[in-house]
Amino acid sequence: MDIKISQQDNKTMVVLNGRIDTSNADQFQQDVAPLMEGENPDIDIDCTDMSYTSSQGLRIFLMLQKSVKARGGKMVMRNMNPQVKEVFDITGFSNIITII
Amino acid sequence: MKKRFNPIKDKSSEIIEFVMSSPDIPDDDVLKFKLRLSIEEAVENVVRYAYDGGIGWLETNIDFNQDTLLLTIQLRDAGVPFNPLEKEDPDVTLSAEDRNIGGLGIYLCKKMMDNIEYRYEDGNNVLTMTKKVQSNSNE
Repeated sequence: MDIKISQQDNKTMVVLNGRIDTSNADQFQQDVAPLMEGENPDIDIDCTDMSYTSSQGLRIFLMLQKSVKARGGKMVMRNMNPQVKEVFDITGFSNIITII
Repeated sequence: MKKRFNPIKDKSSEIIEFVMSSPDIPDDDVLKFKLRLSIEEAVENVVRYAYDGGIGWLETNIDFNQDTLLLTIQLRDAGVPFNPLEKEDPDVTLSAEDRNIGGLGIYLCKKMMDNIEYRYEDGNNVLTMTKKVQSNSNE
Protein backbone atom coordinates (compact mmCIF):
# COMPACT_ATOMS: atom_id res chain seq x y z
CA MET A 1 0.00 0.00 0.00
CA ASP A 2 1.22 3.42 -0.94
CA ILE A 3 -0.20 6.71 0.29
CA LYS A 4 0.40 10.24 -0.97
CA ILE A 5 -0.76 13.18 1.13
CA SER A 6 -0.70 16.77 -0.06
CA GLN A 7 -2.40 20.08 0.68
CA GLN A 8 -4.46 21.88 -1.91
CA ASP A 9 -6.11 25.17 -0.93
CA ASN A 10 -7.47 24.35 2.53
CA LYS A 11 -8.04 20.70 1.81
CA THR A 12 -5.94 17.59 2.35
CA MET A 13 -5.63 15.45 -0.76
CA VAL A 14 -4.94 11.75 -0.23
CA VAL A 15 -4.13 9.24 -2.98
CA LEU A 16 -4.25 5.56 -2.02
CA ASN A 17 -2.62 2.78 -3.99
CA GLY A 18 -2.80 -0.95 -3.30
CA ARG A 19 -4.32 -3.04 -0.54
CA ILE A 20 -5.19 -1.93 2.99
CA ASP A 21 -5.11 -5.05 5.10
CA THR A 22 -3.82 -6.55 8.31
CA SER A 23 -0.20 -6.25 7.10
CA ASN A 24 -0.23 -2.47 6.78
CA ALA A 25 -3.24 -1.09 8.68
CA ASP A 26 -1.10 0.08 11.61
CA GLN A 27 1.20 1.97 9.24
CA PHE A 28 -1.80 3.43 7.41
CA GLN A 29 -3.23 4.63 10.71
CA GLN A 30 0.07 6.31 11.57
CA ASP A 31 0.23 7.91 8.12
CA VAL A 32 -3.21 9.50 8.43
CA ALA A 33 -2.96 10.40 12.14
CA PRO A 34 -1.93 14.03 11.34
CA LEU A 35 -5.16 14.38 9.34
CA MET A 36 -7.18 13.89 12.52
CA GLU A 37 -6.13 17.22 13.97
CA GLY A 38 -5.81 20.83 12.82
CA GLU A 39 -8.03 23.60 11.61
CA ASN A 40 -8.56 22.42 8.03
CA PRO A 41 -10.43 19.13 8.43
CA ASP A 42 -11.58 18.64 4.81
CA ILE A 43 -10.16 15.49 3.18
CA ASP A 44 -10.44 14.29 -0.41
CA ILE A 45 -9.39 10.66 -0.87
CA ASP A 46 -8.67 9.34 -4.36
CA CYS A 47 -9.40 5.58 -4.30
CA THR A 48 -8.83 4.90 -8.00
CA ASP A 49 -5.89 2.59 -7.27
CA MET A 50 -7.01 1.27 -3.89
CA SER A 51 -7.51 -2.38 -4.79
CA TYR A 52 -8.77 -3.77 -1.47
CA THR A 53 -9.70 -3.00 2.09
CA SER A 54 -10.63 -5.28 4.96
CA SER A 55 -12.32 -4.25 8.22
CA GLN A 56 -8.88 -3.06 9.29
CA GLY A 57 -9.07 -0.27 6.70
CA LEU A 58 -12.73 0.44 7.45
CA ARG A 59 -11.82 1.04 11.08
CA ILE A 60 -9.40 3.78 10.06
CA PHE A 61 -11.78 5.37 7.54
CA LEU A 62 -14.39 5.51 10.31
CA MET A 63 -11.90 7.21 12.64
CA LEU A 64 -11.09 9.75 9.93
CA GLN A 65 -14.75 10.42 9.19
CA LYS A 66 -15.56 10.92 12.89
CA SER A 67 -12.62 13.27 13.33
CA VAL A 68 -13.44 15.32 10.23
CA LYS A 69 -17.10 15.60 11.13
CA ALA A 70 -16.37 16.58 14.73
CA ARG A 71 -14.35 19.52 13.38
CA GLY A 72 -17.14 20.58 10.99
CA GLY A 73 -15.37 19.39 7.87
CA LYS A 74 -16.18 17.05 5.01
CA MET A 75 -14.47 13.87 3.87
CA VAL A 76 -14.98 12.58 0.34
CA MET A 77 -13.82 9.27 -1.12
CA ARG A 78 -13.80 9.11 -4.91
CA ASN A 79 -13.48 6.54 -7.70
CA MET A 80 -13.69 3.35 -5.66
CA ASN A 81 -13.55 0.14 -7.65
CA PRO A 82 -16.78 -1.91 -7.53
CA GLN A 83 -15.43 -4.52 -5.10
CA VAL A 84 -14.25 -1.94 -2.58
CA LYS A 85 -17.54 -0.06 -3.01
CA GLU A 86 -19.41 -3.28 -2.22
CA VAL A 87 -17.54 -3.54 1.10
CA PHE A 88 -18.61 0.02 1.95
CA ASP A 89 -22.20 -0.74 0.88
CA ILE A 90 -22.51 -4.01 2.83
CA THR A 91 -21.21 -2.45 6.02
CA GLY A 92 -23.34 0.68 5.69
CA PHE A 93 -20.23 2.85 5.40
CA SER A 94 -21.64 4.25 2.14
CA ASN A 95 -24.27 6.00 4.28
CA ILE A 96 -21.69 7.41 6.68
CA ILE A 97 -19.00 8.54 4.25
CA THR A 98 -19.55 10.59 1.09
CA ILE A 99 -18.54 8.43 -1.85
CA ILE A 100 -18.50 9.98 -5.33
CA MET B 1 -4.31 -28.85 0.89
CA LYS B 2 -3.69 -28.72 4.61
CA LYS B 3 -1.12 -26.76 6.56
CA ARG B 4 -0.58 -26.03 10.22
CA PHE B 5 0.98 -22.74 11.33
CA ASN B 6 2.57 -22.59 14.76
CA PRO B 7 2.98 -20.16 16.41
CA ILE B 8 0.58 -17.75 14.75
CA LYS B 9 1.39 -14.50 16.53
CA ASP B 10 1.98 -11.80 13.88
CA LYS B 11 1.59 -14.44 11.17
CA SER B 12 -1.75 -13.31 9.69
CA SER B 13 -0.26 -12.12 6.39
CA GLU B 14 1.74 -15.29 5.89
CA ILE B 15 -1.32 -17.46 6.52
CA ILE B 16 -3.56 -15.37 4.23
CA GLU B 17 -1.00 -15.42 1.39
CA PHE B 18 -0.56 -19.17 1.77
CA VAL B 19 -4.30 -19.80 1.41
CA MET B 20 -4.62 -17.34 -1.49
CA SER B 21 -1.74 -19.03 -3.34
CA SER B 22 -3.49 -22.40 -3.28
CA PRO B 23 -4.15 -23.87 -6.74
CA ASP B 24 -7.74 -24.37 -5.58
CA ILE B 25 -8.32 -20.61 -5.48
CA PRO B 26 -9.93 -19.64 -8.81
CA ASP B 27 -8.18 -17.18 -11.07
CA ASP B 28 -10.97 -14.63 -10.97
CA ASP B 29 -10.22 -11.20 -9.54
CA VAL B 30 -13.72 -10.45 -8.29
CA LEU B 31 -14.01 -13.82 -6.59
CA LYS B 32 -10.47 -13.57 -5.20
CA PHE B 33 -11.36 -10.23 -3.60
CA LYS B 34 -14.27 -11.84 -1.74
CA LEU B 35 -12.21 -14.88 -0.75
CA ARG B 36 -9.25 -12.80 0.42
CA LEU B 37 -11.54 -10.63 2.52
CA SER B 38 -13.26 -13.64 4.10
CA ILE B 39 -9.95 -15.39 4.77
CA GLU B 40 -8.34 -12.28 6.25
CA GLU B 41 -11.23 -11.61 8.60
CA ALA B 42 -11.48 -15.24 9.72
CA VAL B 43 -7.72 -15.67 10.18
CA GLU B 44 -7.42 -12.37 12.05
CA ASN B 45 -10.15 -13.51 14.37
CA VAL B 46 -8.10 -16.56 15.37
CA VAL B 47 -4.72 -14.83 15.46
CA ARG B 48 -6.00 -12.01 17.66
CA TYR B 49 -8.40 -13.75 19.97
CA ALA B 50 -8.05 -17.54 20.05
CA TYR B 51 -4.91 -17.77 22.17
CA ASP B 52 -3.60 -15.79 25.06
CA GLY B 53 -0.67 -13.87 23.56
CA GLY B 54 -1.12 -15.53 20.18
CA ILE B 55 0.82 -18.61 21.24
CA GLY B 56 -0.85 -21.52 19.52
CA TRP B 57 -1.56 -23.08 16.15
CA LEU B 58 -3.92 -22.57 13.26
CA GLU B 59 -4.54 -25.16 10.59
CA THR B 60 -5.85 -24.22 7.16
CA ASN B 61 -7.48 -26.69 4.82
CA ILE B 62 -8.54 -25.79 1.29
CA ASP B 63 -10.56 -28.03 -0.96
CA PHE B 64 -12.22 -27.66 -4.31
CA ASN B 65 -14.80 -30.23 -5.32
CA GLN B 66 -14.85 -30.56 -9.11
CA ASP B 67 -18.29 -32.14 -9.11
CA THR B 68 -20.15 -29.71 -6.88
CA LEU B 69 -17.91 -26.74 -7.79
CA LEU B 70 -17.76 -25.96 -4.09
CA LEU B 71 -14.64 -24.31 -2.71
CA THR B 72 -14.20 -25.04 0.99
CA ILE B 73 -11.85 -23.18 3.28
CA GLN B 74 -11.57 -24.55 6.77
CA LEU B 75 -9.76 -23.05 9.76
CA ARG B 76 -9.04 -25.09 12.86
CA ASP B 77 -7.47 -23.95 16.13
CA ALA B 78 -7.18 -25.20 19.69
CA GLY B 79 -7.83 -21.84 21.32
CA VAL B 80 -10.59 -20.62 23.58
CA PRO B 81 -13.92 -22.11 22.44
CA PHE B 82 -15.58 -19.32 20.49
CA ASN B 83 -18.38 -19.37 17.97
CA PRO B 84 -18.02 -16.16 15.94
CA LEU B 85 -21.37 -16.82 14.24
CA GLU B 86 -23.23 -16.43 17.53
CA LYS B 87 -22.26 -12.81 17.68
CA GLU B 88 -25.08 -10.49 16.70
CA ASP B 89 -24.64 -8.78 13.33
CA PRO B 90 -23.60 -5.13 13.65
CA ASP B 91 -26.25 -2.46 13.03
CA VAL B 92 -25.07 -1.14 9.66
CA THR B 93 -27.66 1.66 9.65
CA LEU B 94 -26.12 3.63 12.55
CA SER B 95 -24.53 7.05 12.01
CA ALA B 96 -20.77 7.53 12.18
CA GLU B 97 -21.00 8.82 15.74
CA ASP B 98 -22.79 5.71 16.91
CA ARG B 99 -20.77 3.21 14.92
CA ASN B 100 -18.35 0.83 16.52
CA ILE B 101 -16.04 -1.14 14.28
CA GLY B 102 -16.44 -4.35 16.27
CA GLY B 103 -18.07 -7.31 14.61
CA LEU B 104 -17.65 -6.11 11.04
CA GLY B 105 -15.07 -8.75 10.16
CA ILE B 106 -17.21 -11.84 10.62
CA TYR B 107 -20.19 -9.96 9.18
CA LEU B 108 -18.17 -9.40 5.99
CA CYS B 109 -17.27 -13.12 5.92
CA LYS B 110 -20.95 -14.02 6.10
CA LYS B 111 -21.79 -11.66 3.25
CA MET B 112 -18.89 -12.67 0.99
CA MET B 113 -19.16 -16.45 1.36
CA ASP B 114 -22.18 -18.61 0.50
CA ASN B 115 -22.12 -20.46 3.79
CA ILE B 116 -20.20 -20.46 7.08
CA GLU B 117 -20.46 -23.10 9.74
CA TYR B 118 -18.85 -23.40 13.14
CA ARG B 119 -18.39 -26.46 15.29
CA TYR B 120 -16.38 -27.32 18.37
CA GLU B 121 -14.78 -30.69 17.82
CA ASP B 122 -12.12 -32.62 19.76
CA GLY B 123 -11.11 -29.48 21.64
CA ASN B 124 -10.83 -27.46 18.43
CA ASN B 125 -12.69 -24.52 16.97
CA VAL B 126 -13.55 -25.44 13.38
CA LEU B 127 -14.79 -22.74 11.01
CA THR B 128 -15.84 -23.94 7.56
CA MET B 129 -16.51 -21.43 4.80
CA THR B 130 -17.84 -22.48 1.41
CA LYS B 131 -18.43 -20.73 -1.87
CA LYS B 132 -19.65 -22.03 -5.18
CA VAL B 133 -17.31 -21.17 -8.04
CA GLN B 134 -17.56 -21.85 -11.74
CA SER B 135 -14.19 -23.51 -12.18
CA ASN B 136 -10.73 -23.42 -10.73
CA SER B 137 -7.45 -22.29 -12.22
CA ASN B 138 -6.28 -25.81 -13.03
CA GLU B 139 -8.83 -26.26 -15.74
